[in-house]
Amino acid sequence: MPLEQQLPLPIRLRDDAVFSNFFPGEANQATYQAVQAAAQGTGERFVYLSGPVHSGRTHLLQAACHSVQEQGGTAIYLPFAEHETLTPAWLQDLSGFSLVCIDDVEAMTGKADWEEALFHLYNQLQAAASQLIISSNVPPAQLAIKLADLQSRLTAGLVLMLNPLPDEDKLAALQLRAKARGLYISPTVGAFLLRRVSRDMRALFAVLDTLDNASLAAKRKLTVPFVKEVLSL
Amino acid sequence: MQQLSLWEKCLDTLQDEFSAQQFNTWIRPLQIEDAPGSLRLLAPNQFVLDWVKEHFLDHITQAVEQHADEHLHATEVTFGIGSKNGTPETIEKKSVASSPSPLPSAGVFQSTANETPKSHAVYNSRLNPNFTFETFVEGKSNQLALAAAQQVVENPGASYNPFFLHGGVGLGKTHLMHAVGNAVLAAKPTARVLYLHSERFVADMIKALQTNTIQEFKAYYRGVDLLMIDDVQFFAGKERSQEEFFHTFNALHEAQQQVILTSDRYPKDITGLEERLRSRLGWGLTVAVEPPELETRVAILMTKAEQMGVNLPNAEAFFIAKHIRSNVRELEGALRRVSANAQFTGREITSDLVRESLKDLLAIQERLVSIDNIQKTVAEYYKVKISDLLSKRRNRSITRPRQMAMHIAKELTEHSLPEIGNAFGGRDHTTVLHACRQIKQLKESDRSIEEDYENLSRLLST
Repeated sequence: MPLEQQLPLPIRLRDDAVFSNFFPGEANQATYQAVQAAAQGTGERFVYLSGPVHSGRTHLLQAACHSVQEQGGTAIYLPFAEHETLTPAWLQDLSGFSLVCIDDVEAMTGKADWEEALFHLYNQLQAAASQLIISSNVPPAQLAIKLADLQSRLTAGLVLMLNPLPDEDKLAALQLRAKARGLYISPTVGAFLLRRVSRDMRALFAVLDTLDNASLAAKRKLTVPFVKEVLSL
Repeated sequence: MQQLSLWEKCLDTLQDEFSAQQFNTWIRPLQIEDAPGSLRLLAPNQFVLDWVKEHFLDHITQAVEQHADEHLHATEVTFGIGSKNGTPETIEKKSVASSPSPLPSAGVFQSTANETPKSHAVYNSRLNPNFTFETFVEGKSNQLALAAAQQVVENPGASYNPFFLHGGVGLGKTHLMHAVGNAVLAAKPTARVLYLHSERFVADMIKALQTNTIQEFKAYYRGVDLLMIDDVQFFAGKERSQEEFFHTFNALHEAQQQVILTSDRYPKDITGLEERLRSRLGWGLTVAVEPPELETRVAILMTKAEQMGVNLPNAEAFFIAKHIRSNVRELEGALRRVSANAQFTGREITSDLVRESLKDLLAIQERLVSIDNIQKTVAEYYKVKISDLLSKRRNRSITRPRQMAMHIAKELTEHSLPEIGNAFGGRDHTTVLHACRQIKQLKESDRSIEEDYENLSRLLST
């Protein structure tokens, strides 16, 4: 739909950012389940998701939005890192939403107007019994927040950690994502990719896109020689 | 209502035109308001409003034109900002975000203001039913505040008016305030009790000014038996709100209706408040809530664990309480984390699980209470150089901070006195001992030293 293309990325949820498409591994099993429970309204009302870049925070936040919308609720996803288009006015009176997700909250810390807006949003959502999920690259106690009232509220929630996956789990995550596209990645090909391309999940998923398109175009299965050819390795 | 059924038809059409995501994010949250001759849609905030107008206006107008029948004179679509209570959306929300105590959503004041001015205003206390005296854990740090709060319940409006609670963040001020409200309501269910955050008061006032309902606003706030406002320091710099609050306060005080307020600091220390308001805040009883000591922290953890239905062994509660000392909120957060980890991995709460769950918090504590960090923090606080603290200089301006730093190092670290002496430029352990005695004595006689000590301890433990 042409209209969808007009919407800038920040607001749009990625179609494939859903729970079933997330591979938690053992390292993130508890976190994965706790976010799912929160999205289904059976968990904590405020969840803080902490983890390094490319650890899947955005995926989980958007998955929670999808899940709430599927249940007939309303959800909004606000990426603070995309701040060119954002103003603190965004946070006014969002208590009508069943779920508010804030990604990369550290991008706005230290700015008085943002901190105050977030503080009021927190209070409003609490009063309205709405769900709030905040993500950041650091745990709440390490955020450089000036407003102590806000910091203490953030530490009061359920703080969950997302850890980088060990290599064998990265392979499994890659295979899960490929399977969703009807693409098969053999352990050999997977191991080759992890060795030669990158061990960062976002880069790996990008490579997957390239390989998927090439395999469709050439009508070939993914083999090591074919992968080498496509990626010019 | 004709508009309502019209809008429902439009929603059906619009739902087919957009992805579920777009529809749910932007169009569904719109609420319709009674407006003669037009369809008036309310967006929750300016941002949503602009977005909808920019991206969906054509589709909405088309849908309206398509469904409008001859009964409706005009098919004009207008927009506004706001929300109304009890709309399908808020009801639906509850089914998704199920919570033990769903509180009504915002806009309470507005919904009463919309009624005819003479009708009986509906007060919705917005109290959290879980915040009661029974669930409040008493300790040395909050004894006085708790006793005073119970007095207020006995004799609302009479003994301590206003009742002013101040203290650091996350120490239970809001809990105590709600406890008073809940107890007053339990004793007299018809009492008009109102709790709100200061920001809500400001927002309501602005709304009342915009919609020309300031008289209703005044009547509403002056008609309560018990008014509780949280975090009044946020009134700072908002002159019109202060004035309005000042008059509300006077009216309530005169009529012997109880006012309870909280702030993160002592009334006199709230900058940006008008003097006349500041002095009134101190008219009644002002009580501080202090950070809980270790035993209370353990008791809080055990109580919360019981409420959550979590089996928390004593040793683990003690371990958490020992390491998390800044405030009750952080303590609760730590417990939530440990319990979620146990629940979702199917493990018992053991010391390993606690350490694993609180990895980052423990690291901070260990980092913060190093002697280096104490020296750095103290030097910054007194605006002296770290090298001065370690030097042989003996001016009062240097020795006092040095003694303070040594004293804190003894209180907050496990280092021996010789180790501490060594870390301060190779001093003898008797020097450290002397410093500790000196500061202890001064803390009792000199209020500014006591404050310095408290501020520094707080800086080092948050």
